[in-house]
Amino acid sequence: MGLSIRKLVRRIRALVRPGALDRELDEEVRLHVALEAKELERLHHLSPADARRRALVAFGGVERYKEAHRDARGVRWLGELRQDIRYAARALRRGPTFTISAIAILALGIGACTAVFSVLDAVVISHLPYPHDDRLVQIFERNSPTNQWPLSVADFQAIQAWQRSFTDVGLLRQTDVSVAAGGAPQRLPVGYVTSGFLRTLGVKPAVGRPLGPADDAPGAPPAAVVTHHFAVEHLGGDRAALGKTVDVDDIAYSVVGVLDARYTSLGGRRGEVWPDARLKPPDRRGPFGMVVIGRLKDGLTIADAARDLERVSRREFVVWQASFQDHDAKLVPVSLRRVMLGDAPKTLALFSAAVVLVMLIAVSNVAGLMLVRAAGRWREVSLRAVLGATRARVARLLITESIMVSLAGAAAGVALGTLGVRVMLVVGPRVSRLAEAHVHVRAIVFAVVVALISGLIIGAYPVIHLARERSAAGVLGGERSVGGTRGARMLRAAFVVAEFALALPLLAAAALLLNSVLRLQRTSPGFDPSHVLTVNVSLPSARYSPINGSDTAISSYWTRALNDVREVPGVVAAGLADQLPLSGGNLDENNFDLVDKPVPAGTAQPVTPWTVVTKDYFAALGVRLLDGRMFLPSDTGGQHPVLLVSRSWANRYFPDGTAIGRKLVSGGCTSCPLVTVIGIVSDVTYTHLGDPPEGVYEPMTEGWGRTVALVVRTSGDPAAAIPAIGAALRSVEPSVTVADALPMADRLSASIADPRHAASLVAGVAIVAALLAAIGVFGTLSYTVSMRRREIGVRLALGARRRAVTGMIVGRGMAHAGLGAAIGVLAALLATRWLRSKLFEVSPTDPLTFGLVIVVLLMVALAASWAPARRAARIDPAEAIRDA
Amino acid sequence: MADRADLLQGTLDLLVLKTLVLGPLHGWAISKRLRQLSDDVLEVGQGSLYPALYRLEDRGWIRAEWGTSPEAGGRRAKFYSLTADGRKQFAAERSQWRLFSTAVERVLKAT
Repeated sequence: MGLSIRKLVRRIRALVRPGALDRELDEEVRLHVALEAKELERLHHLSPADARRRALVAFGGVERYKEAHRDARGVRWLGELRQDIRYAARALRRGPTFTISAIAILALGIGACTAVFSVLDAVVISHLPYPHDDRLVQIFERNSPTNQWPLSVADFQAIQAWQRSFTDVGLLRQTDVSVAAGGAPQRLPVGYVTSGFLRTLGVKPAVGRPLGPADDAPGAPPAAVVTHHFAVEHLGGDRAALGKTVDVDDIAYSVVGVLDARYTSLGGRRGEVWPDARLKPPDRRGPFGMVVIGRLKDGLTIADAARDLERVSRREFVVWQASFQDHDAKLVPVSLRRVMLGDAPKTLALFSAAVVLVMLIAVSNVAGLMLVRAAGRWREVSLRAVLGATRARVARLLITESIMVSLAGAAAGVALGTLGVRVMLVVGPRVSRLAEAHVHVRAIVFAVVVALISGLIIGAYPVIHLARERSAAGVLGGERSVGGTRGARMLRAAFVVAEFALALPLLAAAALLLNSVLRLQRTSPGFDPSHVLTVNVSLPSARYSPINGSDTAISSYWTRALNDVREVPGVVAAGLADQLPLSGGNLDENNFDLVDKPVPAGTAQPVTPWTVVTKDYFAALGVRLLDGRMFLPSDTGGQHPVLLVSRSWANRYFPDGTAIGRKLVSGGCTSCPLVTVIGIVSDVTYTHLGDPPEGVYEPMTEGWGRTVALVVRTSGDPAAAIPAIGAALRSVEPSVTVADALPMADRLSASIADPRHAASLVAGVAIVAALLAAIGVFGTLSYTVSMRRREIGVRLALGARRRAVTGMIVGRGMAHAGLGAAIGVLAALLATRWLRSKLFEVSPTDPLTFGLVIVVLLMVALAASWAPARRAARIDPAEAIRDA
Repeated sequence: MADRADLLQGTLDLLVLKTLVLGPLHGWAISKRLRQLSDDVLEVGQGSLYPALYRLEDRGWIRAEWGTSPEAGGRRAKFYSLTADGRKQFAAERSQWRLFSTAVERVLKAT
C-alpha cells in the first residue's frame, strides 16, 4: 500500500514537473560523462577533449537514452504528448501561411458538414417529441403504390370500431378558421381532434386536463386545448387560460388544458387551438382529408397492423358501396416518422452528398499542402531522427501537427456551421422540424471526429514516407528527398485531379438545378399575375351557417360585397373561387368518370383539380374562354349541372374531338345528375409550376362556402388596393375575417421558393468546391515552380522562350484539371440521374449545361495556373543557377 | 582486453542490486564496479543503466538520495542504496539465478 502511494506521488511528479526530472537526469548524465572521461584520461592517457568525446560516444545517443529513461517512468506517452503539442504548435507558428490556409480550408469543409449534420440530426435522426414514436402510424387510403390520401370520418369510425392492432386511434382535421379570444377574430391554424389523438401521441397538457372520451360525446360542452403560445398571447398565461372561452369559427369552446411550449404542432400539423372534433355520423364514405393516427399494441409490427386494416377495409367497403366504388382502395398504416419526414431525407441527402464532396476536396487540398510543407521540413525531421528520436516518435509528431491543424479547423468549422444552420433556416428547404436544428453537442462531437479522421489522412503521407526513408538520407539529400520523389509528385498530382473530379459533379448539379429554376421562373402559370390580388375571406358562422342547403345569407353578402369591391378605384374585375392557382398539395381534387369512356368497374377513376368559381373569376385572373360558352346566371346546378374544362384537360381526355357537350359522373355519385361540359378555357396551373395545367370549374351557385378566395384585377399596383378592398369587405359585414392579402406575383414567387433555395444552396457549396480546387492547383504549381527554379533557369539560359515556360507550367495544371474534369464528367453523368425528380424541363445529362460547367471549371484552373506560370517565366536564369 | 559480453536479458537488475549490497553508489560508480567485478567482461550500456535504476527505484527496491561525491571533486551526485525490500529481492533473484545457471550448465555438460 505504502509502495503504491509512493509510486503514485512519483508518477504525478513526473507528470506535472517533467522538467525537474529531466534536469536531475541531465545532472546525473553530465556527472557520469565527466567521471568516465576522467577515467579514460587516466587509463589511456588521452587528452581531456578526446576522453570526453569517447565518454560521450560510449554513453550512446543522449536523446535516445533520455527517451528510454522516460519510458521507464511510465508516463511517457502523456509527457510526450505535451511535448508533441508544444513542438507542433511551434512548428505551425513558424509557417503561418500554411497553417492559416489549412485551417481555413478545413473550416469551410467541416463547417459545411457540421451545418448539414445538425439539420440531419434535428430532422432525421432525433425522435419525434412523443414517447415511443416508433410505435406511431398514420393511416391512409391507398389504391396504387403511388397514390394515397388521408381518411374520412367514415374510415375513422370503421377503424375505431373494428381494429385490433392499436391501443388507441385518433383523428385530426386541420384547417385555418377565424379564432377570437376577446379581441378581433383572427384567421389561425386550428386542429379539430378526437380525444384519442392526444392519447395516441402520448401528449399530456402541461396545465389542466387533456380531452377525454366524455368530450367526444354528442351534446358534451365544447372543450379545447390550446398551445402555450396562444395562452400567453390571448388568454393571459397558462394558468389564467383554464376555464376561459375561445370562439373558434363562432363556437365557444372552454379551455381545459394548455400544451407544453415545445408543441406548436401535433402529428406534423400546425395548430394554435385544438378543439374537440365532435364527429357527426357520416352519410357517405367521403369527404377525405382527415389525419388518422394509431399507436401499435406492444409486440405488433406495422405489417400486422396492415393485415388487420385490410380486414377492416373489406368490411367497410360493403357499408359504403353506394358512394365509393374503388375496390382497390385499402387502409394502410405508414410509420408517422416517415410521414412527417416526407421528402426531407431525399433533399437532405442531396446536401449531404454535396458537403461530403466538399469535405473530400478540402482534405485532399490540405493533404497536398502538407506534402509541400513536409518537403520543406524534411531536413528538420531527419535531424531529429539522427539525434535519436525514434521513428515512431517523429511520425507521431507529424500526425500531432496535422491533427492540431484539423482540430483548429473543426473549432472554426463549428462556428461556421452555426452560421450555416442559420442560413439553412432562412433559405433552406421547408422541411418539418427544421426549426429545431441547432449545432448541438452531437454535432460538435461529429465535427471533432471528422477533424480527427481528416488529420490522420492529411498527416498520413509524410509518415508513410518517413517509414520508408533511411533516416540519414534526409540530412544529406536536403529538401528534395520528399517533395522530389516520384511518388510524392504523383500523389500531389492525384490530389489535384481528385479535387477537380469531385468539384465537377457539384458544379454540374448546381448548374442543372439553377437552369431548372430559371425555366420554372419563365414558365407561365397560364395567366398574367402582375395586376392580380388575392384575399382569403371568411364569414362568421353564426349568421352565415348554411342551414338546410339554403345559403342566401352568404350569397347576398357576396352580391353586395363584390359590388363594393368593384367600386374601389383601380379595380377592374373581381371574382370568387374556393381555391387559388399554385396551391401545391393542399388542393381540392375530385374524381370523375366520362360517360363516353368509363373506367372498368372496380378501378380508380381519374382525378383532376376541381375549382368552384364565379364567372368573374376568369376575367379577374385573365383566363380566356377558348370554345363553347361561359357560365350563365341560369347555370344553377340542380338537374343540369355544367362544367368548364381547361384546354389541357380537354386535350387529354378528348384528344380527337371536342370535349364540349360531353357528360361525366362527378365524385362517383352515380345517382346524381350527369354533369355537362359547356366550354373550354385557357390553362391555369393549380398544383405546382411545371405540373400539367389540367383542371375543371364548377359555377359557384349553390353550397357557398363561408371561406372563399377573392381574386381582384387592378389597373395599378395590386398591393396598393389592399386597404380599400378590406374596407369594402368589412362595410357589409364588420366581423368578416380577411387574411393573406397577397399580390399574385408574390404567391407565384413563393410557390417556387423551395427549388430556388435548394439550387442556391447547392450552388454556394459548388462555388466553394471550385475555389478549393483552384487553390489546390495553384498551391501545387507554385510548389513545382519553386522546386524547379534551377531547371527552369537553365532552360531559359539555354534559350528557351519564356512563353514556352509559361506554357509548360500552365499545361501541367491544365492536364491535371482536365483529367480531373473528365473523370468528374463521367461520375456526374452517372450521378445526376438522381436529380431527375428535382429538375424541370432539363435533362440530368443536358449537354449544354455540362459543356458550360466544364468550360467554367477549366477557366478556373487556367486562372489558378496563370500566376505560378508567370512567376516561372520571370525567373532570372543567372540568379536561379547561382542560388541553387 | 577480454572479450566483452552482452548482458543476458533480465540479469542487469540482479547485478545492479549486487553492486549496492556493499553500500550506496552513484550511477557511474555502479557501472565501474560492474566492470571491475566482471574483469571488464560485462559492459553496461548507459542507455540501459539509468532506466534500470529508475525502474528499480520505482519498484521500491532501491532508494535515491542526493549527496556529494569525493571522486567528482565534491560535485552533487545521486546515490543509490538498497531498501529492505531490495535486499529480499536480491536474495530471491540470486537463488533463482543460481538455479537457472546450474541447470544451463548441466545441460551444456551433458553429451
